[in-house]
Amino acid sequence: MPPFESTWLPYLYLYGVGGFFFLLGMIIIKKSGALDVAKKSHRRWFKILLFGFFYFVLIHGILIIAALYW
Amino acid sequence: MDLEKFHNIGTSTDWIVMVVYFIAIMLFGTYFGRYNRSTKDFFFGGRRFAWWLIAFSIVATGVGSHSFIKYSAKGFEAGFSSSMTYINDWFFVPFFLFGWLPIIIYTKIRSIPEYFEKRFSPSARFIATVLLLFYMIGYISIGFLTLGKAVLPMLPTDFTLLGVHFEVTLMGVVMVIAVITGIYITFGGQTAVIFTDLLQGFILLFAGFLIFFIGISYIGGFDIFWNMLPTEWKLPLAHFNEPSSFNFVGIFWQDGVAGSIGFLFMNMGLIMRFMATKSVDEGRKAATFNILFMLPLSAIVVSNAGWVGKAISIEFPDIIPPNTDPDQIFVVVANVIAHPGVFGFVMAALTAALMSTVDTLINATAAIYINDVHRPIKKFLKHIKEDDKITDRKELFSARVASVVVTSLGVIGVLAFRDFPTVYEAHGFFHSTLTPPLVIAIFMGLFWRKFTPAAVIVTFIGGIALMILGANYPGILIKPFAHGTPMDERHPFSYIRALYNLFVCFGVGFIVALTTNYQQRLIAWIKSHKNDKVIIYSALIASIVLFIGIVFSSSLIVLHPESYLEITLFLFAALLMSALVAILVTYFVKYDPEMNTLGLTVYSLKKAKEMFKGSKINDREGEKIVVNWKLKDTDEDIIYFSKNDMKRMEADPGDLLYITDARRWMGGLKSVHSVFGEPHDEDGIIYITREHLEAARFVKDRKLRAEKEM
Repeated sequence: MPPFESTWLPYLYLYGVGGFFFLLGMIIIKKSGALDVAKKSHRRWFKILLFGFFYFVLIHGILIIAALYW
Repeated sequence: MDLEKFHNIGTSTDWIVMVVYFIAIMLFGTYFGRYNRSTKDFFFGGRRFAWWLIAFSIVATGVGSHSFIKYSAKGFEAGFSSSMTYINDWFFVPFFLFGWLPIIIYTKIRSIPEYFEKRFSPSARFIATVLLLFYMIGYISIGFLTLGKAVLPMLPTDFTLLGVHFEVTLMGVVMVIAVITGIYITFGGQTAVIFTDLLQGFILLFAGFLIFFIGISYIGGFDIFWNMLPTEWKLPLAHFNEPSSFNFVGIFWQDGVAGSIGFLFMNMGLIMRFMATKSVDEGRKAATFNILFMLPLSAIVVSNAGWVGKAISIEFPDIIPPNTDPDQIFVVVANVIAHPGVFGFVMAALTAALMSTVDTLINATAAIYINDVHRPIKKFLKHIKEDDKITDRKELFSARVASVVVTSLGVIGVLAFRDFPTVYEAHGFFHSTLTPPLVIAIFMGLFWRKFTPAAVIVTFIGGIALMILGANYPGILIKPFAHGTPMDERHPFSYIRALYNLFVCFGVGFIVALTTNYQQRLIAWIKSHKNDKVIIYSALIASIVLFIGIVFSSSLIVLHPESYLEITLFLFAALLMSALVAILVTYFVKYDPEMNTLGLTVYSLKKAKEMFKGSKINDREGEKIVVNWKLKDTDEDIIYFSKNDMKRMEADPGDLLYITDARRWMGGLKSVHSVFGEPHDEDGIIYITREHLEAARFVKDRKLRAEKEM
């Protein structure tokens, strides 16, 4: 089994630090009104942005599990 | 360990296939060159295209720049983690889609430096232009280096032509490639690049997966391939901080942060592609589709030759030796597993894709030259006012000359990168070093209203000075940021230096912005002094001397990289210089915090949209309608619809509109933007001008689709 530094540490760092930047971006564009969730099209974009983040979280998670246990 | 290098790979059939492919691609691009009617068309493609067309055309740009060569090399050395740089771009997408993209389109800026003038000052624009030209030309050099390394294994070590003996060198190959690339871009323009890239995007994906499937079949099937690789090789992320040549944390900061922001916010080639979409929303769709779906696919496409090569080197080390030069592994694998002709096709697709990237960058750099050097100089020289069409024709010529000059500089720039062990490391170093000042400046300007001209210029100048100190004293300054990454003496902290560089650029800019009130009070005090000019010019001379001393310190004196005393003195000098620059900018630059942020930060996007339109926004949602067209003899940029059609579209006279050939598969190639005129009574008919007809190349009796833009 490869060490933690090769498996889950990079994953946690990627989505911890990267997630911080992502969250910061979401907060800024919402608070500034650039993303106005009162508009139907912007609500759809809001969902797409969140989907994108968890989509990549899932992809990397699955790939790590596949490498370790498949 | 000596690396095994290959020459003379391929057959004459492969060369014939490559030559035919290149001629076909160039003819294809030249056909679309006729859509260039102005510099606007030459650089931006006329803001007309559908999202899907741009999304696919970006594939060739993305795949080309993050090339088969460098990712296959890392795939061969480290396994599936070579794909990580393709799947870490989402974090900054909110900033891009709802910050930078709408602002660059609504403010109608033609280049990134122009934003700096509007948001800060002409001096900020000047420094941004210099930095951006370095960045773009460096990117072109990396592209040429990769192209050279791709073609070199196919060539002999030397040859004799007409009795003259030639040795085949990397630089020689790069020069020949540059000539071919320069000829194409000089006569093509953005529309040609978009359509060539569209075609090549599909071909690349096909070629990449072809290599993967043939490779897996060569090894004996996916199960054998999967089980043959060690577990470490199957992991999608590299080891956290080892080795120095490829580790997760360094690459996260270099690529996931500096690289991702650089690629989305600074890469004028990519930005111009988004600006070629018909609207902001179409640009958002193109970017989203590309990052969500095309980049993960591209990760497999560009890396798999390295993975297959590793598997073959384990099973058949006599066919592919484990010590094969990583930068040659793509070509070697493709040659081993593919038949003659197929190998030529794969190589043609690869080199053509790389040329697409270089083409796009050359086009973008020429745009920066015209917009940020040529026009300001003409304005400064108070050039005689000419007819717009004559000016445009002259600028188009200048743009073509600039393309040739930029291509030449790109070739020279290869010298700076050719000594890195792999293209990947050269590119990593490049990103870590050249992107941070501009990345921080753009970001802070967009998302922080209190960021002032003094802060942005100190981010540039003070940031560069501190980055140079980091490069001179990596063991003291960069090591605390290294997360335990070992230091390679020859290329210290190639990747993780991005974190240090981002930190110092952010730090000095942030402090200067926070202390704006103190600077203004100090300036008021200086101005009240009768010797204010003497004080200011003394500060100017001192800051210049300090900056030159820091930049050229390694040439002027013998440095002691482990000396804390020496670095303390240099750090003091850099911070003193930053403070002086902040004071000087506050003294000289006129800045209105209201006017200079209006429509130029994320907090006033609505205002930016109104400024784009020139009047209040009409947000009512209307239908898209299909109409027939007739010509009207007028020079005004207005299109006339019937009352009922305008009602269906929820449009008022003065609103902006977009009309395109109704055939969706054309992706907006035949289209134009205009303004609604006063309505008439003929339903289903619109009146356009001859200029609209010529710009969009509408076809007689073909229906058009019309939609209100805003």
